[in-house]
Amino acid sequence: MDSVEIIRLKDESLDHLRKVHGDDAETLIADARYGFISGLMKDVLKKPAIEKETATDRIDRLILHRWLGIPIFLAILYGVFQFTFVVSAPLIKWINAGLDWLAGQSSGISPAWLSSLVSDGIIGGVGAVLSFIPIIFLLYIALSILEDTGYLSRAAFVMDRLMHRIGLHGRSFVTLMLGFGCSVPAIMSSRTIENPQDRLVTILVTPLISCGAKLPVYALLAAAFFTAYQGLVVFSMYAMGIILAILLAWLFRKKLVPGESGHFVMELPPYRLPTVVTVLAHMWERGWAFLSRAGTLIFGAVVLIWFLNYFNVLEHMGRAIAPIFAPAGFGQWQSAIALVFGVLAKETVVGAFGTLFAGTETAGGFGSVIAIQLGWTPLVAFAFMTMILLYTPCVAALGTIKKETGSWKWTLFTVAYTLALGWVVATLIYQIGSLFL
Amino acid sequence: MSKKEITLALAGNPNSGKTTVFNNLTGARQHVGNWPGVTVEKKEGFCNFRGRRIRVVDLPGVYGLTAYSLDEVIARDYVVDEKPDVVVDVVDASNLERNLYLAVQVLEMKANLVIALNMMDVAESRGYQIDVKELSRLLGTPVVPMVAARNQGTRELLETVVGVAAGNIQVSGIHMQYGHDVEAELAKLEKIITGNPLAESYSPRWLAVKLLEDDREIVDKVRQV
Repeated sequence: MDSVEIIRLKDESLDHLRKVHGDDAETLIADARYGFISGLMKDVLKKPAIEKETATDRIDRLILHRWLGIPIFLAILYGVFQFTFVVSAPLIKWINAGLDWLAGQSSGISPAWLSSLVSDGIIGGVGAVLSFIPIIFLLYIALSILEDTGYLSRAAFVMDRLMHRIGLHGRSFVTLMLGFGCSVPAIMSSRTIENPQDRLVTILVTPLISCGAKLPVYALLAAAFFTAYQGLVVFSMYAMGIILAILLAWLFRKKLVPGESGHFVMELPPYRLPTVVTVLAHMWERGWAFLSRAGTLIFGAVVLIWFLNYFNVLEHMGRAIAPIFAPAGFGQWQSAIALVFGVLAKETVVGAFGTLFAGTETAGGFGSVIAIQLGWTPLVAFAFMTMILLYTPCVAALGTIKKETGSWKWTLFTVAYTLALGWVVATLIYQIGSLFL
Repeated sequence: MSKKEITLALAGNPNSGKTTVFNNLTGARQHVGNWPGVTVEKKEGFCNFRGRRIRVVDLPGVYGLTAYSLDEVIARDYVVDEKPDVVVDVVDASNLERNLYLAVQVLEMKANLVIALNMMDVAESRGYQIDVKELSRLLGTPVVPMVAARNQGTRELLETVVGVAAGNIQVSGIHMQYGHDVEAELAKLEKIITGNPLAESYSPRWLAVKLLEDDREIVDKVRQV
């Protein structure tokens, strides 16, 4: 390649990194080395207690505490969801008011089918997805802060001991936590795991983590069914995702790909106060994928759903699939269709509901329309949320799994095991729950 | 078995006891010259061990391998261009954290590194407990504890150097990760560097890291191709 081109690309990279981090790449690289070394020091060097402590040492003594470390991690995670839900609530209300107004305007369009396509299909479907933008962007802000302050590395360090016990390494936990944002970059980040078996198992379980696209579905259902406990219910999805990912990783590591797990240094970069620009840049980078998907993939899916529904084909399709999910409580054709289209991208589930139930207004808003139309109880909604959490990864995640494992076998295995796991867990929740409620 | 001369490059921070290690290794068999083209003193010496002749090249004492000082450039160029069989980094055990910064950079160059963990006595007198085995495992490189001032550990160091040169001791090294924003840019740069003639003498990843560090010398080298 031409030298001029290399220098140009280098300058472009430097500009990009300076914009995103407000620091020179040189500083970032040096920080990575210092982070590596201070992680190494925690493992190999014991100093007498009289040495002077730095601020980082003092914070680390609490955050990396043997017993308090994991509760602190869970508390921070819980705080993140409370933050996203509380702050986003009024914003979502405004967006919905705007969408209602738009839908009202478009009802005057003729012919009638076009009016239906615009108000039910596009505004109902894409609009339902877009209304959750505040929640997603706030989640991305919170995740960026956790990452940029250096806390994410600490959480992985805290989990390192537990991860070794299940035959994995703390770095796998970093991948899982990046999965809170989106599985695609998370799966790609598994490249930092050198041991091939560790890496494979990490890739296989990453889709079980609750990503940003699953959040709109939880938010919609939690608002409709669990008014007072929304934050807690959504948090329970995140916790279940982590717990099942770790459990399955342990199982896969033992049964499918046995062997010695790798030992590496867990990097502990110095704590930093992230700049507003950095956090916003990271939020935008992650959130942009979500926005552009709403305009392309979700738009297409919603138009297709509207089209099939308008010609009365969709219900037949839905009724053919729905009985499979009856044991889990959500045997309605609309939810079956939503699950099928959800494989394109998880937030399509919200778009599908939006299109299917457009025009059936009630006082309680969109969420309660679903409750009434489907006849769901909170227990069914919870089982359905569990299904959304666990079932087949979206096509983008599957494509990444294929690319990173280089194997159709493991990609299809992921499709099969996640579908089975989602069905089994949702059914167990519904059946056992029905005994008590 | 090859009887070829082993080249050993001796690196280390200033005040790490590098000169003492050099004297222990070579005794009186040393001569002083200049590094090519510059007036920086270059010391070389020889020793024989287990039937092998070892040429010991004393690199300037440095804290890192950037292009900011002539000393650092000399040390770095020697490791990259001359590809010594073994690089011994003399590390002050009582100041481990700061000293390892150089070791990490040598490992990033994929050199055959052996760490001479010097001044173990000072570290112990301060109550430091260093898990030498774990250090060696996590860095993927042999670590030889020594007290150069009392000529302790020299034999073990030579034993390890000969082992590494003969391929009996593997240096697996580390795979440094720079965080995913930097890694994303590195991946792009690495891809286009791979086709460049420079990639024949330098590893594309190392070149990419140096370019992102805006390393004056490497940027000039790329420009001149």
